[in-house]
Amino acid sequence: MGSTLDQFGSQTTFADAGIGAARTVWLTNSMSIISLVILAFVMLVALFAWRSTGGGRVWWIIGGGIVFPLITLSVLTVASATTLRSITGEAQPEAPVIEITAYQYWWDVVHHSEGRSLRDANEIVLPLNMAVTLQLKSNDVIHSFWVPSVSGKMDMIPGRINELTITATKEGRFRGQCAEFCGLSHPLMAFEVLVLPVEEYAAYLESLDEDARDAVTPQQRRGKEVFLTSGCTACHAVNGVSENGRLGPDLSRVGARASLGAGMWRMNRGNLAGWIADVGDMKPGAQMPSYNDLSGPDLRAVAAWLESLK
Amino acid sequence: MSDRDRNSGLLGTVFAILSGVIVSLAVGVWALGTPGNDPVGAAAVTAGTFMEGKFRWLRAEPENVPQDWVEISKTVRGGDPQRGATLIAQYGCGSCHVVPGVARAHGTVGPDLSGFRDRAYIGGVLSNEPGDLVDWLMNPTTHAPDTAMPDLGVTETDARHMASYLYTLRGS
Ligand code: HEC
Ligand code: HEC
Ligand SMILES: [Cu+2]
Repeated sequence: MGSTLDQFGSQTTFADAGIGAARTVWLTNSMSIISLVILAFVMLVALFAWRSTGGGRVWWIIGGGIVFPLITLSVLTVASATTLRSITGEAQPEAPVIEITAYQYWWDVVHHSEGRSLRDANEIVLPLNMAVTLQLKSNDVIHSFWVPSVSGKMDMIPGRINELTITATKEGRFRGQCAEFCGLSHPLMAFEVLVLPVEEYAAYLESLDEDARDAVTPQQRRGKEVFLTSGCTACHAVNGVSENGRLGPDLSRVGARASLGAGMWRMNRGNLAGWIADVGDMKPGAQMPSYNDLSGPDLRAVAAWLESLK
Repeated sequence: MSDRDRNSGLLGTVFAILSGVIVSLAVGVWALGTPGNDPVGAAAVTAGTFMEGKFRWLRAEPENVPQDWVEISKTVRGGDPQRGATLIAQYGCGSCHVVPGVARAHGTVGPDLSGFRDRAYIGGVLSNEPGDLVDWLMNPTTHAPDTAMPDLGVTETDARHMASYLYTLRGS
């Protein structure tokens, strides 16, 4: 399946692809209708006020200034609290937990499954029709997590864990976006959500537990060598190759993602090479140095190797 | 001296005088004109254009219609520029090149492709013409082994579309 970059409407709230999103649509529709009714009511009252001959002013003030707001505001408070709860989802103790940490300008994703912590980045795979608890954190500034087609929005605040329970109800690829201004490249901080049937989701988790693919061709082997000797391992982890880097996205299966640079470019060799050679131009402010000191063949090799990690 | 010789001598003299008069008349008329005004030249140009039209009409056959050779030398067979622009976005050329008209293509790894049609060489190694450009897009590393531009697995059809788009990029 291609990336959401080619897909029109991958970020619409009206896709009906998750419980939170469906509730949001319901809320929007009912609020529009209710405000229309209120508007009609006020117009009617104004009409009667125009024709009335005075008298009962005290009752107008008590009724319109105290009783009416008191009742409407109480109703609205209760309604908004319950709706908000249903949009963020009731906590479900058995639901799988996915820990998502926002960094300036990318997403670290850890699936907690059977006591294992399985790491991926910039692409969030969800099981179909199953409630999942997202633990939303931030490593630096305030970000906000939002997949309009699937769920409501929730802020990611440094030093806090915000929980959001989401249930995806439609298979496919959807687009999410950081929804809180977080710095220079905030608009370039998106991600993709892939909703898979439960069995495929389990297989995906297993693939995260495995070592990265072996380098096969001479060019790929050279690429791996370049990766190991150019300092990439200080920030990036690749299962079975070098597992300590945490400052940048996990690259164990970077070639399997549909997009590069947190949902912003199609995943392919050209963009990979361009990214490594000059990330500062593609994503100003990204916490990765540009590697234009690599020779042409080495640059191509490391891009080819990363592309092969599926 | 015979009669005949005398007659031809006379005729020659008359002819010489006549042509002298005609030439001085022409020069006189020409000299009377304001500087920069060139009635004779203008007449010549008009006559020339008229004759050229006649000649063209005489040899009017499809292959004799005047050709824009520059245009032809930059035409890529089977290439659709519009399709090419889409492919350039899909292959990710924009992460390395500035490509006018392609969204978000502002890379600074390789050369700016603005005005590419007027570039003399491709990568400094191939002359800039359709066949070579298609070759370059398919296998840059064959032509420049140390280049940073990767072989992107571009098919010939795709290369043709992209090349035809690149030839729509004119200099200023
Ligand atoms: C100082 C730490 C650091 C070093 C060193 C570093 N990177 Fe990165 N890298 C990052 C960060 C941070 C990001 C995420 C940038 C963003 O999207 O904002 C990143 C992103 C990437 C991505 C995109 C991942 C994705 O999911 O889209 C690739 C590919 C990559 N780096 C490759 C490399 C290679 C190859 C090297 C070595 C030549 C390298 N990096 C060295 C920090 C680093
Ligand atoms: C990783 C970066 C990278 C990518 C991706 C890339 N190029 Fe290049 N390109 C370069 C570099 C570097 C050069 C200069 C090559 C040289 O002189 O050896 C170049 C040269 C060129 C040239 C010759 C320009 C000139 O003025 O000489 C053209 C045309 C070109 N590229 C087109 C493309 C197209 C089309 C794509 C996408 C299919 C593409 N490139 C993808 C890096 C890249
Ligand atoms: Cu942001």
